[in-house]
Amino acid sequence: MGSNGEKVAPNNILLAKADGLINWARQYSLWPLFFGTSCCFIEMAAVFTPRYDLARFGAEVLRGSPRQADLLIVAGTVFKKIAPVVLRLYEQMAEPKWVMSMGSCSNCGGMYDVYSVLQGVDQIIPVDVYIPGCPPRPEAIEHGLLLLQKKISEERPTRAIFRLGGGVQGTQKPILIDGQTKSRDTRGPGYEGIPIRGTSVTPPGFWDSRSDLMWTPPPRRLELNEGDRSLAKVMHERFGSDLCQTPETSDMLTFHVTEARLKEVLEFLKSETQPRYLRLDDLTAIDESARRGPDPYVAYAGTVSHEISGGEKDWPLRETYPDYTLVYHLLAFDPPSRLRLKVGLKGKDPTARTITDLWPSANWYECEVYDMFGIRFEGHPNLRRILMPHDWKGHPLRKDYPDRATSLPPYTQEEARKYQPLDAAAFVKAEEGDEPFVLNVGPHHVGTHGLMRFVLSLRGEEIEDIGMDIGYHHRGVEKIGERQSWHQFIPYTDRVDYFGGLANNLSYLQSVEALAGIKVPERARTVRVMLSEFFRINNHLVWFGTYAHDVGAITPTFYTFRDREKLMDIVELITGGRLHPSWFRIGGLAADLPEGWKEEVDAFVRIFPARIKEYESLITKNPIFKARTKGVGVLSLKDAMDWGVTGPNLRASGLEWDVRKKFPYSGYENFDFDIPTADGGDCYARYLVRVEEMRQSVKIIEQAANQMPSGRYVCDDYRYVVPDKSDTLKDIESLIHHFIHVTRGTKIPRGEAYTATEIARGEQGYYVVSDGLNMAYRMRVRAPGFANVQVIPMVARGRPLSDLIAIVGSWDYILPDVDR
Amino acid sequence: MSFLVFAFLAAGLAVALLTLSACVGEKKKTPEKGRPFESGIIPTGTARVPYPVPFYLVAAFFLIFDVEGIFIFSWAIAFDRLGWPGWIQISFFIVVLLVSLLYLWKKGGLEWGPTAKR
Repeated sequence: MGSNGEKVAPNNILLAKADGLINWARQYSLWPLFFGTSCCFIEMAAVFTPRYDLARFGAEVLRGSPRQADLLIVAGTVFKKIAPVVLRLYEQMAEPKWVMSMGSCSNCGGMYDVYSVLQGVDQIIPVDVYIPGCPPRPEAIEHGLLLLQKKISEERPTRAIFRLGGGVQGTQKPILIDGQTKSRDTRGPGYEGIPIRGTSVTPPGFWDSRSDLMWTPPPRRLELNEGDRSLAKVMHERFGSDLCQTPETSDMLTFHVTEARLKEVLEFLKSETQPRYLRLDDLTAIDESARRGPDPYVAYAGTVSHEISGGEKDWPLRETYPDYTLVYHLLAFDPPSRLRLKVGLKGKDPTARTITDLWPSANWYECEVYDMFGIRFEGHPNLRRILMPHDWKGHPLRKDYPDRATSLPPYTQEEARKYQPLDAAAFVKAEEGDEPFVLNVGPHHVGTHGLMRFVLSLRGEEIEDIGMDIGYHHRGVEKIGERQSWHQFIPYTDRVDYFGGLANNLSYLQSVEALAGIKVPERARTVRVMLSEFFRINNHLVWFGTYAHDVGAITPTFYTFRDREKLMDIVELITGGRLHPSWFRIGGLAADLPEGWKEEVDAFVRIFPARIKEYESLITKNPIFKARTKGVGVLSLKDAMDWGVTGPNLRASGLEWDVRKKFPYSGYENFDFDIPTADGGDCYARYLVRVEEMRQSVKIIEQAANQMPSGRYVCDDYRYVVPDKSDTLKDIESLIHHFIHVTRGTKIPRGEAYTATEIARGEQGYYVVSDGLNMAYRMRVRAPGFANVQVIPMVARGRPLSDLIAIVGSWDYILPDVDR
Repeated sequence: MSFLVFAFLAAGLAVALLTLSACVGEKKKTPEKGRPFESGIIPTGTARVPYPVPFYLVAAFFLIFDVEGIFIFSWAIAFDRLGWPGWIQISFFIVVLLVSLLYLWKKGGLEWGPTAKR
C-alpha cells in the first residue's frame, strides 16, 4: 500500500528498466518555454547560439507556447505585475514539467528588494534547480540543465504513467511560504526581531546620518551663456513675478513658475521664444516632504564652525519647499539648449493642469506622475495607473511609501491568482454595433521583445485600434536610487538598459559629476567612450539578429551572436564582467586598462567592418526584408519631434541630431565620426541607420584605442572619488576617504543636475537631486524607451497585424528602460 | 504489394502513437489548463466572430479563372481542327474574361491590406 492508501504494484525488474528508458528519453529531449523577463534572458538566448550550443545537451528549441513546453526557465526578475502570468504559463504547460529559476532576482529578489518585485519565484511556483548569478553566465545555465537532468534520471515515472500507484515525475517540491519554509530576511534566517538596516536612509528623519558632518565645496555653478541670459530677460519681462529664475544652477537655465501660468509659459517657450523649445524632454515630480531642515548636528556644528554645514550658510528650511515639485525639462534643437521649469504644488493630493494639448507625449508622463506620486492632472484624456498594476494601493515614489518588498507583506500564490492584469477591453475602443476581435499580444510573446502588452482590436488582419499596457518590468529603480549611496547605485544603472551596460553608468555619472563639478581625467574619459561604443555595437548586433528573425530570417541571429561573444570577451578582459560590468566610478574607472587590451581591441577593429558587410549582404537587398519593412511604420519628423522620440528612430526620420555632437560629453568632440541619418522614417530607414551606426562606432573605438592618453584612470579629488587602492596604502588621508566612501558613502552637495547621453536606443538622461546626503534625494531616469514606444499605437493603427511585429522590432525598445 | 505494406505500417504507426499517448499521457484538468493561451492573459470576448478574410475573395477569383483555363487549353490542343470559327469563339470568351477581370479590379475585389488611413 502507498502512503495515501492507494494500491501499489510490487517492484520488479521491468518497472526499473522502463524507468531508466523513460528518464533517458526525457532527460535529453527537454523543451524549454520561450520565457524571459529581463537581463538573464539575454544570457539564456546566448546559450542557444553557436559558442554555447545548448542543443548538445538535449534541450533544443525554445517553444513559443506553454502547450509545447515542459521546462520553464524563469529567466529574470519576477514582478508582482507579471506574477499572475508566470503562474498561468506554468499551469498551462504540458505534464510532467520542470522549473529552473535563473538568476538572483528569480531566486530571491536579488538586488531588487523593492516594492514591485516578487522576492523569489518559489513563492508562487515550485522550483527544481536554482542557477545563481546576476546574470548567470551561459555556462551556468548549462550546469543547471545538467543538474536538472540528474534530477530527472532519479525519478520513477513508470508507475505514474501506467497508473500502478506511487512513482514520481516532474516537479514535486512545494511552493515556499514566507516565515514558514523560507525567510525573506536578506541576512538569512534567525534575525527576526532585530530591526533591519540603515535608518539613516529612511525618510523623513534620516536618523543618525553622519553625512551632515562632512564638508563639501558648493556644487558646480554654471555660467549662463548669452542666449540663456537674454531669454531669461525676455521671460521676466513677459511673466513678471509669476516666474522666477533660479539664481545658481549646475546644469541649465532654470525657472520657478506658478501653476496658474505654467501652461502659458510652456506655450510661449514652444512657439515664440528664440530658440524654440520644441521638445518636452522629461516631465516628473519630486516629493519634497522629506526635505531636512537644520538638524541637531548642524545646529551643533553651527556653534563650532559654519563651514561644517556643507558650505551653505543659509540652509533652506523645510517650510521653504512646496509639498511637491513638478519638473519640466525642455529641449531646443537650434541652437541646442535645454531649460528646466519647476512648479511647486501644495497639499497632500494636489492637482495640476495637463499639457497634453501642447505635447502629446505628456500623456504617459502625466500618467506616470499620477501613478507614482498621486498628483492629478485636470483635463488629461485618460489618467490612469501606467506602471503599477491597476489595482495597486498607494503611490510608490512618495516619501512615506515603503521602498523594500521585504517591508511589505509577502506575496503569495493566492495573490497571483487574484490580481489579474486589466481586461483587454479597457485598452481599446469598441465601435457601436459590431463586435471586434480583441487580441492580446504580450506580455508573454516572442514578438514583443520583453514584457510588453499590446491589446489589439482587429478587423480581419487590420488593426482597428491598439492599446498598450506597460509596467510589467517596473523595477522601482528610481525608488532604489533614494536609498543606495551614490556609489552603490552604479550597478543598478547597468540594468536600466541591459544591452547598454557601461553606457548606462556613464549617463548616471555625467549627472553626478556635473552636480559636484568633478573633473574626470583624460584617460578615463577616453576609456569611457571606447567602452560605451562597444556596448552600442553590442546592442545593435543583437538588434540586427533579432529583427531579421522577426521578419523571417533566422540565420543572422547566429552570426551576430558570434560576434557579440567576441565583443563580450573584450569587455570581460577589461572589466571582468559581461552584461553588467558596473565598472565606471564617480570621477573615473574602477581600475586601469589591463595588459593586452590593445591587441584584442585592434583585432576586433580589424575584422568587424568586414563582418558588417557580410551581414548587410544577407539582409539589405533581400526582397522579402524590403517588402516587410519599406513603407511600413512610417514616423514623420514632425511627429517624432512632438512625441520626444530620440536616438536612431529620430535620425531615421531625417533629423541629424545626436547628443554626442550637439552636447558633447566625455570628450566626444575630439573624435571624428558622422551622424547617420535616413529619410522616410520607415522600418527600413531605421535599419539602415543602425547598421551605419555600427560602422561609426568602430571608427570611434579605433580612434580611442590609438590615441589612448596616459595618466590617471580616476581623478584625485578623493572627497568624492573612491581612492586608488595603492594610494590608500601610502597616506592616511586616502585611507580615510576610502573607508568613508565604501561604508557610509560619498556626500554630494545639495543641488540638482540633469544631463543626457546618447546610448544605443536614444537619449538617456539622469536627473539627480541631492539634499546633501550620502544618497540621492530624487533619482529620475529619463529613459529613451518610455518616450519612443508611446508613439507605436499611432504608427501601427490601420496597418495589418503582420506589420505590428515589423514595427515593434524596428523600434528597438527594451523593457527595463521603458518601465524602469 | 509493397505499397500496401507501407500504407499498413504508416497507418499502424499513427494509430499506435495516438492510442499510446491517449492512454498513458498524464492529464490534469484544471481551469487554467483548459483556458485558451493568449500571451498569458485571460482572453477577452469570444473567438467566434465574423472574420473578414480578403484572401477568401482572391482565392475564389483564382478558382473561377483557373477553371476557365480548361476551356482555353482544350481549344488550344485542337485549334487546327476548329479553324476560324473556333478562334472567333475563344477570342470572344477571352474578351469576356478580360472585361470581367477589369470589372472586379475596378470594384475593388482585388484590394488587399489596410482599407483606409485613419
